[in-house]
Amino acid sequence: MFLMRFTERAYVAYSAEDVHNSFRSAVRLTFPNRHFNPALGADLYNEYLDEYEYSDRIGFDGLMLNEHHNTPTCLGATMNLEAAILARTTKNAKIVLLGNPLPIFENPIRLAEELAEIDMISRGRLVSGFVRGTGIETWATNTNPVYNRERFQEAHDLVIKTWTTPGPFRWESKHYQFRVVNPFERPLQQPHPPIWIPGIGSPETLVWCAHHHYPYIYLETDPQITLDMMEIYAQAAREVGYEPGPQNFGYLVRIHVQDTDEKAYKVGEGFLVGNAGVGRLPLPGDFMAPPGYNSREGVKRLLEQYKHSLKPDPLYGGVDGAGWDKVVETNRVIIGSPKTVIRKVREMLSTVRPGILGVWTNDGTISHKDTMRCLQLMEKEVLPAMKEMGKELGLPGPFEQAP
Amino acid sequence: MPNTDPQEQIVNVSGADIRVLKGGEGKPLVIFHGVEGSFGWCAYQRGLAQQCTVYAPSLPGFDQSQRPEWLESFADLSRFSLWLLQQLGLEKASLLGYGMGGWLAAEMAAMCPQVVDRLVLIDAAGIQPQQAEITDIFLHGLDATRQMAFFDAQQAPEHDTLFKRKLSPEERETRVQNQESAVRYCWRPYMYERSLPHLLPRLRMPTLVVWGQEDRLIPVECAELYRQAIPGARLEVLPQCGHYPHLEKTEQFIGLVRDFLK
Repeated sequence: MFLMRFTERAYVAYSAEDVHNSFRSAVRLTFPNRHFNPALGADLYNEYLDEYEYSDRIGFDGLMLNEHHNTPTCLGATMNLEAAILARTTKNAKIVLLGNPLPIFENPIRLAEELAEIDMISRGRLVSGFVRGTGIETWATNTNPVYNRERFQEAHDLVIKTWTTPGPFRWESKHYQFRVVNPFERPLQQPHPPIWIPGIGSPETLVWCAHHHYPYIYLETDPQITLDMMEIYAQAAREVGYEPGPQNFGYLVRIHVQDTDEKAYKVGEGFLVGNAGVGRLPLPGDFMAPPGYNSREGVKRLLEQYKHSLKPDPLYGGVDGAGWDKVVETNRVIIGSPKTVIRKVREMLSTVRPGILGVWTNDGTISHKDTMRCLQLMEKEVLPAMKEMGKELGLPGPFEQAP
Repeated sequence: MPNTDPQEQIVNVSGADIRVLKGGEGKPLVIFHGVEGSFGWCAYQRGLAQQCTVYAPSLPGFDQSQRPEWLESFADLSRFSLWLLQQLGLEKASLLGYGMGGWLAAEMAAMCPQVVDRLVLIDAAGIQPQQAEITDIFLHGLDATRQMAFFDAQQAPEHDTLFKRKLSPEERETRVQNQESAVRYCWRPYMYERSLPHLLPRLRMPTLVVWGQEDRLIPVECAELYRQAIPGARLEVLPQCGHYPHLEKTEQFIGLVRDFLK
């Protein structure tokens, strides 16, 4: 099993009232950047990089980064910069980018160049994930949401061709045209770095991934719904002649360890202001999905998903009503002492059976100090146990068995 | 009195079926709707149909009118709409449009002035304002935009019928598709075309520009920019009126337009 460590790198120095008073009470997109303090930002970026460097030293197989725009919930606005730093300052772990939001790039060749440099500087440790980006990314870059999926696929095809086809060549597609594609720097990994795709399960993306043999990483989706979505992938894989296994699937879960269950319970509550932000007000739906961003089929699927998850799943939507106790009881966030966490992770792995486990160690108001303690405890007991579980439960990652 | 009730007809343009409401008698007047799609056959259309043969098409991608796959930009929409006039058998017609439809009518007139008899632009998008901004209706969302669209909804008798009734699932789906189509055509640059004010000076047809003084979606400054760009254009700014003069000041609006089209 491939174990990768993740945090969204939150910025939390603002109040619920600030969010409430912002345009449409939104913590993303329009939340005024006067609430950002660059001096604090400088500390946070360095602390977050320290945490990733430490994670490399203690045995994580991957360092997962992501990217969002116009939001305090994720400081990774240009994830490739953080990746480039980690390419130089870490030694062992893969640098897993989940992922670059392809539709918002006007020049995918520049992206191909950046990723090739990261791959070379890291001496072949890049995993290059791609995403469509949320609606917020579309708004923030003024990219027409109607063409999001078309641009995703075209940019993907262009990046792959740039990496794999000797230049110079000419590229003419609907959204991208380039006279001379011939970047001199090519990636170290041949034919190109592995591609993984994260998401919350839009059916078109699942089918597309299955057809490309790209592992799909479910971003802390409800376990039962995750299994249903895996079946969509599996059916599509069978259509093109292969049976997918754990190596084709990843699962991202918030997992936080402290010395005692009590301490973990108290500290872990900081997750609640993670990607929902301080104040936890729901975002306007058209911020996350502007008109045309999702296909009709995708919308229906998401609505079913939300209908299902709002009630039984306390992590989404109902969390404030259900409370932290319910979140912890249902293991939608796994917290506790090393012993408790090992038990709960085993239960989760037995059900979902991913070959890639994203360990979302900290977020929201969880401090750097508490995060470092969490990582220390993971090194001693939890990571070795999880690696054993992967073997015992037969969960090969994509580097053990080709997806 | 002529029969002002509409009949629906389907017109095929470039392989796409386009829905058109047609009613009244007299010289042809083609009405182009805004980003919300057709409001059906409203009182102002009945009023104008007493004097004109009114054609009210639902543009491609709106209200179940089909969109040919190649049609993706506002320039495409303008060229397609000129073709629509041809398919309707209209060698020359007056064009009236509000909001996005006003922008469309202006583009069509600039592209092919010889087919436009008279031009009526109502709180039209299309020209970038110099002082204020065209409100980003997608960013504000549907509910807020509708509130902003009216100076006083109570002076629009059709307001509740149009906006407050419960929609059927089919109508909700249509609304989503209409929004998508508006985004497809108008997203970037948002609601204007840089070249348009430079092309409008070629127009020679009589032009009436009507604007709500209190339009909070497209600033009244744009009315003046249209007036300046189109030779001989007449501007009427209606006080205590928002983005939809035809809904909010219906009688006054009908009188103005009928006088102009006489």
